[in-house]
Amino acid sequence: MSASPLTQIPEPTTWNFKLLAQHQLDGFGGMGEGMSISLTKDGRRIIWLAHESAPKNFTGVDVSDPRKPKVVVQTDLPQSHMRSNSLELSGDLMAVAYQTQKTGQKPAGFELFDVSVPEKPRSISFFDCSGATSRGVHQLWFCDGQFVHMAAGAPDFQPSHPLDDQFYRCIDVRNPAKPVEVGRWWIPGTRQGDSTPPPPRHKLDKGYRAHNTNVYAKRPDRLYLAYIDGGMFIVDISDKSKPKPVSHWTNSPPYTGFTHTVMPLFDRNLLIVTDESTENSAKDWPKLVWILDNRDETHPVSIATCPLPPVDAYKDRGGRFGAHNLFENTPVPTAWHSEDIILGTFFNGGLRAYDISNAYQPKEVAAFVPPAPAGTPAGAVQLNDVFVDEREIVYTVDRFTGGLYILEMDF
Amino acid sequence: MNELFPSPAAGRFGRRQKRERGARMPVTVLTGFLGAGKTTLLKRFLATPDGAGTAVVVNEFGAVGIDDTLLRASADQTVLLGNGCVCCNTRSDLQIALRRLVAERERGAIPDFRRIVIETSGLADPSPILQTFATDRALGEEFHLELVATVVDAAAGKATLDWSAEARKQAILADMLVVTKSDIADETATAALVAQLRALNAHAAIETAVNGALDPRRLIGPHSGERSAFVAELSHSDGILSFVLSESAPISWNTFARAMDTLVALRGADLLRVKGFLNVEGCSGPVVVQFVQHLAHPAVELAAWPDGERASRMVFITRNIPERQVRDLFAAVRALAR
Repeated sequence: MSASPLTQIPEPTTWNFKLLAQHQLDGFGGMGEGMSISLTKDGRRIIWLAHESAPKNFTGVDVSDPRKPKVVVQTDLPQSHMRSNSLELSGDLMAVAYQTQKTGQKPAGFELFDVSVPEKPRSISFFDCSGATSRGVHQLWFCDGQFVHMAAGAPDFQPSHPLDDQFYRCIDVRNPAKPVEVGRWWIPGTRQGDSTPPPPRHKLDKGYRAHNTNVYAKRPDRLYLAYIDGGMFIVDISDKSKPKPVSHWTNSPPYTGFTHTVMPLFDRNLLIVTDESTENSAKDWPKLVWILDNRDETHPVSIATCPLPPVDAYKDRGGRFGAHNLFENTPVPTAWHSEDIILGTFFNGGLRAYDISNAYQPKEVAAFVPPAPAGTPAGAVQLNDVFVDEREIVYTVDRFTGGLYILEMDF
Repeated sequence: MNELFPSPAAGRFGRRQKRERGARMPVTVLTGFLGAGKTTLLKRFLATPDGAGTAVVVNEFGAVGIDDTLLRASADQTVLLGNGCVCCNTRSDLQIALRRLVAERERGAIPDFRRIVIETSGLADPSPILQTFATDRALGEEFHLELVATVVDAAAGKATLDWSAEARKQAILADMLVVTKSDIADETATAALVAQLRALNAHAAIETAVNGALDPRRLIGPHSGERSAFVAELSHSDGILSFVLSESAPISWNTFARAMDTLVALRGADLLRVKGFLNVEGCSGPVVVQFVQHLAHPAVELAAWPDGERASRMVFITRNIPERQVRDLFAAVRALAR
């Protein structure tokens, strides 16, 4: 690249989005991948955000006026060796994940809260996943008020490899005071004692661990399960006690694993699958958003990936660059739904929206790459997750200090 | 390929858009005779809040641009103008210049711009530029030609229009005509110019700018809702005929496409500009179409009818193709297609 004064500091980008507000959440702007909205009886709209790491647990922000977000509550984790990172809401019932840094530590599991009075979230119960071989819950999905689907460890699960310590668990919370496990599934071979031999390790070994565990009201008998180095599975959960894989797809090898999210588009028979970039400076490039033809759910076929700017223009900006989270068409009344536009976060690649009306040729239609937020150790923005509410207001969060950005789609 | 994964929210032309340009980069073509005052107009625009974040492409070597020094800069270089604006110049390859600007922006190498103004001047027929957006399928998908603005000098403009076919072409193809220097021209001359412009172009908005002072929002489109009163079948010594076809009954896309295919095949060179909204059978929103001679821009369906009224309205600017012939062609194709 020529030494032109134009290229000294990369310019931020706002294209076909309008930034309405940013809030650094009172100095605790390091956000994870739990974002969901509740509507209070007095007519307010609260977005609940899980923090990426200690000391904060979750923050509730009043976004009734998206131009004037206000923190209404911010809670602390009981221990510094844990993180929440993931939460979901069904009505006023919120499930928050707790994961510890090491196996054996506590508290590890998930907690259920009643957030009908957002200033005073009321703890209802705690589901304990702690144990000598468990770090608790990494990610959970809870949209129907009945079942928490999660990626978690368990005291009675010994992985065959230490990195493979989290698998799929289904917890019945129809009596929220007494959550009870009703089913679980893991990749055969990842548990000590399985007759199947353990799976071969990837070169960049991130583990065979469950990650996103999405279940949608349109197909309550199907689990869309991302399994990090194990790729993705569609699982028949018509009998929750006996989950049965229907199909499997992976891009790795030759890609570098870390399948993160599987989102089905039921009207169009498509699946959107993301990798997660987990290495700074795009060392694990490419990390992409994949489009799969799911007309035959026993045999999904990849047909396209969403385009990104050149890696050399972003990899040295600081932190990670590559795919991670999507707006997942969360099946709740406070979320938008679209099968033509998908939104994803790409760390220092910002937030990008794609028109996939031609599924073979996704087109980027909007991009938001804000400047490095004040105080960030990463050197650049690291947009970590995105949620769109039913008013079509877009919320995205930074992993370190930037907090919450609120935008409108302008395309 | 859309048929394999149909979406309830997308029609045959893809996702229904809230606005004509959809997600595409808006482009304004600013043309006009040498000395007409384009540069003054553009400089003022770039300094306004509406003009912030504009990328200017100067599309003719030797023309007076923003600043002489900029034009002496290498054709490879994009320069900063202030207020988030950038400028580059290109002698011939507009596609390359536009793509380079977008690539530089994508890399973060230049400030984030949100519109492009292509400044072309002198004895330039704007048709090739208009065709560029239809020729190159990828360009037509990424860029939307939102406005053609032609600047005409009140003092010298009429004389220029009289002797120059290119100047008349610039007026004929405009969506907006900006009359400059009306403060130094006499009233009679200005009135005669406006009448001549109106005779050349029944549809464009005609604005007056003194010393480049024009409401900056007028340079950003679209202006489609503001056509002035239509005068049927205007003609001029160049044989330019301009008319509107409108119809409230829906038309089948097949009929429309076949009729236009025939018209383009037989008389493409004489179809100077065709633009409009169509009420297409099976489409809930209007379908926006645009042709420049032999070339069609990709059709786009909007999410809603602008005024709630569902009716096709197509403006034809042709050379020696009268309205009757086009109506008859459409009627014949429609009858045969039944």
